[in-house]
Amino acid sequence: MLPAAGVGPGVTRRPGVAARLLILPLVAWAGAFVVLPTAILVVYAFGRRGTLGGVEPGFGLDAWSRVLDPTVRVVLARSLAWAALATVACLVLAWPVAWTIARAHPRRRTLLLALVVVPFWTSFLIRTYAWVTILKGEGLLNGALLAAGIVAAPIEMLYTPGAVLVGLVHTFLPFAILPLYAAIEALDPALFEAAADLGAGPVRTLREVVLPLTRPGIEAAALLIFVPALGLYAVNDILGGGRVDMIGNLIADQFKGAARDWPFGAALSVTLLLAFALAWRLAGRGRSLAAGLDR
Amino acid sequence: MRLVLAAVLFACLPVAACTRREPAPELQLFAWSEYVPDEVVDGFTTETGIRVNRETFASNEEMLAKLLSGATHYDVVQPSDYTAEALAREGMLRPIDWSKVPGLRNLAPEFLHLPHDPDQKYTLPWMGGTVGIVVNAERVSPETVRSYADVFRGEHRGRIAVVDDPREIVSWALATEGLPINRIDASSLARVEPLLRAWLPQVRVFDSDSPKTALLDGDVDLGIVWSGEGALLLDEDPKFRWVQPAAGAHRFVDTLAIPVDAPNPEAAHRFLAYVLRPEVSARISAAYPYTNPNLAARRLLSAKQLANPASYPPQEAKLEFFRDIGAAAVLVDRAIARLKAGL
Repeated sequence: MLPAAGVGPGVTRRPGVAARLLILPLVAWAGAFVVLPTAILVVYAFGRRGTLGGVEPGFGLDAWSRVLDPTVRVVLARSLAWAALATVACLVLAWPVAWTIARAHPRRRTLLLALVVVPFWTSFLIRTYAWVTILKGEGLLNGALLAAGIVAAPIEMLYTPGAVLVGLVHTFLPFAILPLYAAIEALDPALFEAAADLGAGPVRTLREVVLPLTRPGIEAAALLIFVPALGLYAVNDILGGGRVDMIGNLIADQFKGAARDWPFGAALSVTLLLAFALAWRLAGRGRSLAAGLDR
Repeated sequence: MRLVLAAVLFACLPVAACTRREPAPELQLFAWSEYVPDEVVDGFTTETGIRVNRETFASNEEMLAKLLSGATHYDVVQPSDYTAEALAREGMLRPIDWSKVPGLRNLAPEFLHLPHDPDQKYTLPWMGGTVGIVVNAERVSPETVRSYADVFRGEHRGRIAVVDDPREIVSWALATEGLPINRIDASSLARVEPLLRAWLPQVRVFDSDSPKTALLDGDVDLGIVWSGEGALLLDEDPKFRWVQPAAGAHRFVDTLAIPVDAPNPEAAHRFLAYVLRPEVSARISAAYPYTNPNLAARRLLSAKQLANPASYPPQEAKLEFFRDIGAAAVLVDRAIARLKAGL
């Protein structure tokens, strides 16, 4: 809510001077650390590969012709699929947790939320390496299964696509739980009574009342997971054995690998950014944002 | 009493003035994240009073990126041979004043006047190494693995770990085909593509940071790794054996060099002289068992260290250096990326 003169719904408000001043630090920060680096990336994408890395002055479209490589298409498609899979898995797993927390007693709610958030205090990399210790051939999980006699020989769990999915879901689950919790918690309990009064069972209530009303929360959670998951390649490297390249690997290789092709890395990054912008627009976020501004 | 106090305070003034005027000398060291033991750095500071600010990198390209950005000026950097070659060619290295670094005569001749620095003008050899095959003798019989082709024969499918270095992997295929490992162009890459296409799907783990982990955990049975990692594995457990590939292998030398814009070249030269001392060099070998070029230091090593075939391969082994290949590096990266994508 922007502070301004004139209140009440239906009255067109324009942000006052105070509002603009308050927003200025955020705009400056976004300009310096988001807009400017992106602009530099775009400039680099049209540059020439330098001998020792870096970008040589001069206009060149070599980087963009490499972006059209079939390799890039395959890797991008694969990364999109993995990010989508991780998003869906996170949402499905997070929903019961968010529901339980939202419907819990207010005092217990704080404890439960703390339990969800505390893993953030540990470095993400350490948590991912912990999965190596759990999933490896001589790891904790195999040890437990062997000791319980459930399996006769260790199962190969590490360095598989499944391990990568486990790592991704583990990393992003809190990002799913929190927005879903916020959306569910905001629901008026009277709605459930009303639905029951009208003869709807739990499934129908979920489908026709709860899900539509919590859709903004679900969309927020999905974006919070999908966007970072698309670029994340560390989990794939550590838990997947680095066997397949994700788009993040491709980009990183241009800067820390022997290829030293910064313009290509920059072009890939810009492509990814454009893909995000397109997805965001298509998901209707742009539409609702524009509508909100006009109101 | 007051007079004594005043006299004492007065005597402290010059000292206070000195420390205020002259900040402690510093050395900006830019090294690999796991290559310079802390005790070597601390020992240097204790002896010379020069404080060492250490920054680390995990790849030559990361080092280049930071050097090119010019954000920080380093006194000593630690490039690999082909990177040092490129840096010297671009005029980014300062010639070393060997009169200030007397220990050079301790070094074995096979480490001096190498292709990347034929006049020995810009670099000081730090440690050498190779790439070779490590075999878990409990799972695989070492006699059956003599070279790269044996590793990828098919019976070890899914039980192999290799370093995640496209140029390295391509060099194994080139060596197997009998081609020079520095001949990187479209035709040589096309010739080795069928080999690579057959090899890559057999690998379970690509790991340049710590390939020994998968071997120690038993998740893979054999691997093609850096000699230092191999030496550590051999030290850790006698079930590991080192095989120097018959087709030939990549030999590398990591070096110390002084950038042309070093703020304290005096300290840099003193550091170079310090690490050349036999007892200091021996400490480096103890921590990172690569091939130590310092013959005087080798005399201080134990028989067990010197007998480690990964650290000190036999002289007759077929070994070749990487040279800087310029823009052809892009071809290598492209080829491996395409194969990994399954195309």
